[in-house]
Amino acid sequence: MSCHRYDLPASRRDFLQTAGGGFGAVALAALMGEQAQAAPVRLPQRMARTKSVIFLFMEGGPSHLDTFDYKPLLNKLAGQSLPASFKTPLTAAGEAKSPLLECKRTWKQHGQGGLWISDWFPQVAGHADDLAVIRSCASSGINHAGGVCSMNTGSLFGGRPSLGAWASYGLGTENRNLPAFVVIKDSEASVVNGVRNWGNGFMPAVYQGVEFHSDGTPIKYLDNPKGVDRREQRDKLDLLGALDRDFNANRASNTELDARIQGFELAYQMQAEAPGAVDLSGETELTKKLYGMDHAATATFGRNCLLARRLVESGVRFVQLYSGAGSKWDSHNGIEAKHSQLCHSVDKPIAGLLTDLKSRGLLEETLVIWGGEFGRTPMSEKGDGRDHNPTGFTMWMAGGGVHGGQTYGSTDDLGLYAVEDRLHVHDIHSTILHLLGIDHTRLIYPHMGRPERIDQNEGHPFTKLLGAGFTQS
Amino acid sequence: MNPPRLTPLLLWIAATATPALAVDDVQRAAAAFFENEVRPVLVKRCHECHSNTKQKGGLRVDHIGYLKTGGDTGPALVPGKPEESALIEAVHYANADFQMPPKQKLPDAEIAILEQWIKMGAPWPEDASKQVVVTEGGFTEEQRNYWFFQPVAKVSPPQVGGRWVRNDIDRFIEQKRAALKLTPAAEADRHELVRRVYFDLHGLPPTQNQIDTFVNAKEPLVYEKLVDELLASPRYGERWAQHWLDLVRYAESDGYNQDAYRSFVWPYRDYVIQSFNDDKPYDHFVREQLAGDEIAPDDPKVMIATAFLRHPVYEYNLRDVRGQWDLILTDLTDTAGELFLGLSMGCARCHNHKFDPILQKDYYRLRAFFTPVHWRDDLKLVTPAEKQAFDEQQAKWEAATAAIRTKMDALTKPGIDRVVETWRVSFSEDLQAMTFKPADQRDALEKQLGGLCERQLEFARASFDPTKNLKTDQAKAEYKALKEELNQFQHLKPKPLPEAFVATDAGPAAPANLLSTRKGDQEIAPGFLAIVDPNPPKITPTTTSTGRRTALADWITRPDNQLSTRVIVNRVWQYHFGRGMVASASEFGTLGEKPSHPELLDFLTAKFVAGGWHLKALHREIMLSATYRQTARREPDATAAKVDPSNVYLWRFNPRRLDAEQVRDAMLAVSGELDLTAGGPSGDGNGTRRSVYTRKKRNSPNDLLLALDMPAGFTSIAERQSTTTPTQALQLLNGDWLLARARKLASQVKGLDDVWLAVLGRRPTDQERATAEAFLKKRIGMAEAALPATAENAAPATGFHFNSPHERLLVRSNEKEGDEFTVEANVKLDSVDVNAELRTLVSHWDGGKASLESFGWSIDVTGQKSRYKPRNILMQLVGEDENANIGYQVVASDIHIEVGRRYHLVVRVSSTRHSVTFTVRDLDTPGAAVQSAVVPLDGLSNLSRGASPVILGGLNKRTPTRQWDGQIEALRIVAGHADDSALNTDAEKWNAGLFIWRAADPPNSQFTWSGADTGAPQENDPLLKAMTGLCQVLLSSNQFFYLH
Repeated sequence: MSCHRYDLPASRRDFLQTAGGGFGAVALAALMGEQAQAAPVRLPQRMARTKSVIFLFMEGGPSHLDTFDYKPLLNKLAGQSLPASFKTPLTAAGEAKSPLLECKRTWKQHGQGGLWISDWFPQVAGHADDLAVIRSCASSGINHAGGVCSMNTGSLFGGRPSLGAWASYGLGTENRNLPAFVVIKDSEASVVNGVRNWGNGFMPAVYQGVEFHSDGTPIKYLDNPKGVDRREQRDKLDLLGALDRDFNANRASNTELDARIQGFELAYQMQAEAPGAVDLSGETELTKKLYGMDHAATATFGRNCLLARRLVESGVRFVQLYSGAGSKWDSHNGIEAKHSQLCHSVDKPIAGLLTDLKSRGLLEETLVIWGGEFGRTPMSEKGDGRDHNPTGFTMWMAGGGVHGGQTYGSTDDLGLYAVEDRLHVHDIHSTILHLLGIDHTRLIYPHMGRPERIDQNEGHPFTKLLGAGFTQS
Repeated sequence: MNPPRLTPLLLWIAATATPALAVDDVQRAAAAFFENEVRPVLVKRCHECHSNTKQKGGLRVDHIGYLKTGGDTGPALVPGKPEESALIEAVHYANADFQMPPKQKLPDAEIAILEQWIKMGAPWPEDASKQVVVTEGGFTEEQRNYWFFQPVAKVSPPQVGGRWVRNDIDRFIEQKRAALKLTPAAEADRHELVRRVYFDLHGLPPTQNQIDTFVNAKEPLVYEKLVDELLASPRYGERWAQHWLDLVRYAESDGYNQDAYRSFVWPYRDYVIQSFNDDKPYDHFVREQLAGDEIAPDDPKVMIATAFLRHPVYEYNLRDVRGQWDLILTDLTDTAGELFLGLSMGCARCHNHKFDPILQKDYYRLRAFFTPVHWRDDLKLVTPAEKQAFDEQQAKWEAATAAIRTKMDALTKPGIDRVVETWRVSFSEDLQAMTFKPADQRDALEKQLGGLCERQLEFARASFDPTKNLKTDQAKAEYKALKEELNQFQHLKPKPLPEAFVATDAGPAAPANLLSTRKGDQEIAPGFLAIVDPNPPKITPTTTSTGRRTALADWITRPDNQLSTRVIVNRVWQYHFGRGMVASASEFGTLGEKPSHPELLDFLTAKFVAGGWHLKALHREIMLSATYRQTARREPDATAAKVDPSNVYLWRFNPRRLDAEQVRDAMLAVSGELDLTAGGPSGDGNGTRRSVYTRKKRNSPNDLLLALDMPAGFTSIAERQSTTTPTQALQLLNGDWLLARARKLASQVKGLDDVWLAVLGRRPTDQERATAEAFLKKRIGMAEAALPATAENAAPATGFHFNSPHERLLVRSNEKEGDEFTVEANVKLDSVDVNAELRTLVSHWDGGKASLESFGWSIDVTGQKSRYKPRNILMQLVGEDENANIGYQVVASDIHIEVGRRYHLVVRVSSTRHSVTFTVRDLDTPGAAVQSAVVPLDGLSNLSRGASPVILGGLNKRTPTRQWDGQIEALRIVAGHADDSALNTDAEKWNAGLFIWRAADPPNSQFTWSGADTGAPQENDPLLKAMTGLCQVLLSSNQFFYLH
């Protein structure tokens, strides 16, 4: 374990003035009361096509063994204990010694690349040649709280900024009337650990994820108070602006004062713009159908996927969609029923999203990520379920320049441990920043005297994902 | 370079060159050899991985100091002894695990150069200016000379005079400022001062009376008196405790997924407040928190201080118990380093610190003080006498009830054992073995880890509910009877003692404290920073404790500890001025900011310690200075803008935004609602107590405080952020909380003067008055124009229908129904939803489940495709569960009604009885049987706390899918669990209730229709509404938020 190269900006202020690039970073700096004096200097960026990320988070831990990581040996050994040649894993529910559980899926190879995908994802399988399936993911979190926190922030415990916060810190936002980082859940249930999964940690609050509700009012406190119309709101803002400008006039050295006026104006504009971003009335029936919005089982996630596309189009940098909020992918028992229903609920919507992004030419600049906080064990639990498996699981990425139609890394023959090209969460985060064109070793936030990085100085980007010709800067 | 180390070099020169060289020539020859032969090898072969950009294995080779200090595996070389040097071992590829460079072995010639160089004593010539001398312990002279590691200097104030100077602080400040040709700002006027001082010491604005008293006072020393008076008030402790609570990452929940509420941590918060109010010397304060259990184990007032050791986050079901404990120890070590020593030690957990002389071993030495800590759940926060009295009474109760309890245990044991054993086997085998070991046979580590396992098993045990989980009805009945029998002895049972949220050591012997390196594990004993104090500490174990933390506390509170003393003095300065003399208040190392006034810091530190570590004296000294009394209202002149734009040298007072708690408390103070009840369990942030008493759940913080940068309580925070975000603005514009304060204020004021005086402590300027009047005039005019459009209140014959003027009825009621209430109604439903949506009869809810504002409930009828089957009457509730988390529950009656029929419906809700009782009578079928159902309800409470009013026919949010369709002839809500005798199918006979709605009654202002063509209900009084808007604006303004 070692620290790597980094450049320490002289101060947070300097950094904020220079970090990121383009209009977004200036806006963020202004929001924080920092004066954007000089033209911001871009971080040395690799040529990246990716502008935004859609992270499809299957919360609770989807089984890689029944979806994207085909293990014929598992069914041969089903019913027996884990062979002695395997190191005994530490699992959440202590199922290390339970008999191996067979996979009941039918597997087929798909696309030019011949990717193995199970019949739980028939529609997504249609996009096999866009998928870069990473079968060697690993995390340190063995339970949901640690796992979800880790996948989001790189740490088992709270207090660090989320991946989306790092991305918006590094790249800024492209639409000042919308947040840079948006989170949408598929139900009102709370994601494990609550809001800190999209928290800003030790960074300023401007980088925190903002939760959008998929219908009704998209953002908390977005609606005017009861009985207040937009005209009245405008009158109040005019009054506030007049009083504040009067106050600020002799206090020009305090730039925060002016930033507050701007903050209120932005809020007012957000009130106007955010509902439009989630208003699907302009979408055709055909589009809605593409996302599975015409069927009850797929309507919710389909709607959220469509929202994600609209948000990305509107310049939102990082969108995170939760499926199964509240650990619903967790399947300690009855995995057949639970996974069947959940896979079905996301399959069509995800396929629709990929199709739609592609047809609009957005897939190249949008990185789509699928995965959960961990996978599931080859061992059974309670007869017909699987325990948590953080030591080897699958995520896939599509778009954003990744080279699809193939797998990367591998687990052992039973899918328990990642063995080849193991990618720990820190590596996954470094890789995602890499795909966004950011050298994760240079994206530093100085905190408590320490130059903090997303990967806690432990990650390495997995550059193979970009295929030949794009591996290095 | 030290002469002795020249000896081998001389020998080498003697052997290879002419014998008559002067020392200078020897050095030159060594330099030439180094530059021509050695350095190229190091640069070419090693720098890539071991210099300023990368330091693999913690090693740098670009300076001799680094080589001697070495990396993770120890020194890289021993001058003069190549055979003992790791560097030589590595380049020889002698050890298969330790080969450098890893890719290819060096040519033999280069290995020979390195060997020869080390044999020579490893000379490293360089410019005199860059000379680095390594001294004892592997530290360079430069590192040793770093200002922070020097003893606190005895400084005399500079001989600076002048009319401006009020005390010694000013002499130091003036000297530096004058040197930079900066001039001081004028003294703040009394208005500015009184506001600053109140917010600084109390976190509250001065009242009008307090302002007038100070501003108009004629006697001398009025300012001094004010400062003394405020320091003596209990409000002072409430304000300054907040700073300490930030630093110790105080929170009231576990901070993980369950985020269990820590019901007994609040006495620690009160301890901190009390300590500040008592002006407890800082050294005592620190000693109690680090080692209260060793110092005064029988004094609950001291014992509670050890809650300091309990603040790390915790998860109730983490099977990786070792991993969890390791994280807890890491957290304690990191926090202690930052909080007390002003050094972020985190870097040194994995390798020697890159920029500061903090060794990895130093990290583990500090950690060793905490490794024996044991989180205790078995202690009570009482004196031994109180404990004894309790035990005696408890023994009486136990004797009287022994037989009953034995029978109860016999009934429950098999079930409990099953639950516990299922949980236990999920631990690894070594941990399971620990839990089986009797407590008195466990060693320290077994007590710690076994104890953590048992916390989990206890959780499993408590999850067994005999009334539900016993297998047979007979067993349940038996248990119930026994329980009732047991209740007969309740009078003997003593009142439970308060739990002690504290820690002790696991025993007099400490568990291992291992530093793992490539060369194996190494036990590290407790010790201090080697560069400051390399000597092993004197530790005296007691019969129950290692005594380690007392030794640490002793060291931290030594009067000559140059780290801890400067750190606290700088913190106090920082909280007064908004910036410390060391601006990075928890990082005094080279990665932090350089001190702006090191002499002043040492002067104040020495005085603070000599004066007995009293914070109040320090406050007084700072606040009485002319420096503190400068105005913030000064713009930088040309010099200031050029040499000191960020006011490091204090040419004015720093303008500051109020922090989260100051804002919230000030809003409450301004609206006259502030509840100054001190101490005790925390309350909800939507209430009106001071923010320091607001419940602090790590994962569900109060919205307003969070938006204003309140820390979440995961890590030590030395400095609050001050951010401005659109979401913050949205909350101020649209959130209910501020609006409620504004409404309250608006209802109390008579005119603009009152508003300005209340919010800003002054009258409006002419311009402000004109602006505000224009606003009021405009708003009143608009509101009046809109008034005639309000909907008529008459009841429609057709009932409640979506997309009609009569969608929902809003009920105005001052009383809340609470957690036990009865809803009675006569209704007829015309249709149910063709899909799974609901028809809502009545609600006290906006349909949300994410915030306290959304606490509430609704009574609904299910649609055709509902998974609860169609036409089912059910209830949804959102409230607070046992862990103070937000709980949501659906309670279905499984009573299915028909459309088009009239029903008399009664729903009795009781959180205390944990049930909802539904009673339904078909009024259209004479003699129809009454259907009823009692459905269990989890422990949800505070159901009526939410922000919504009661709504008939829908939710407090226009929601097409939650709309009643049909008649609601009559409906009332009665507080409490109404008896049958109090109910009546004939609504005309109803005479009690929080409200009674009868469609046949004449219109009544208590009820307002809301329909497709009306907006939300308008406030009746246009002036009040406009004034509310004005108050809200002023409470959001820069003038209110900033002390500038």
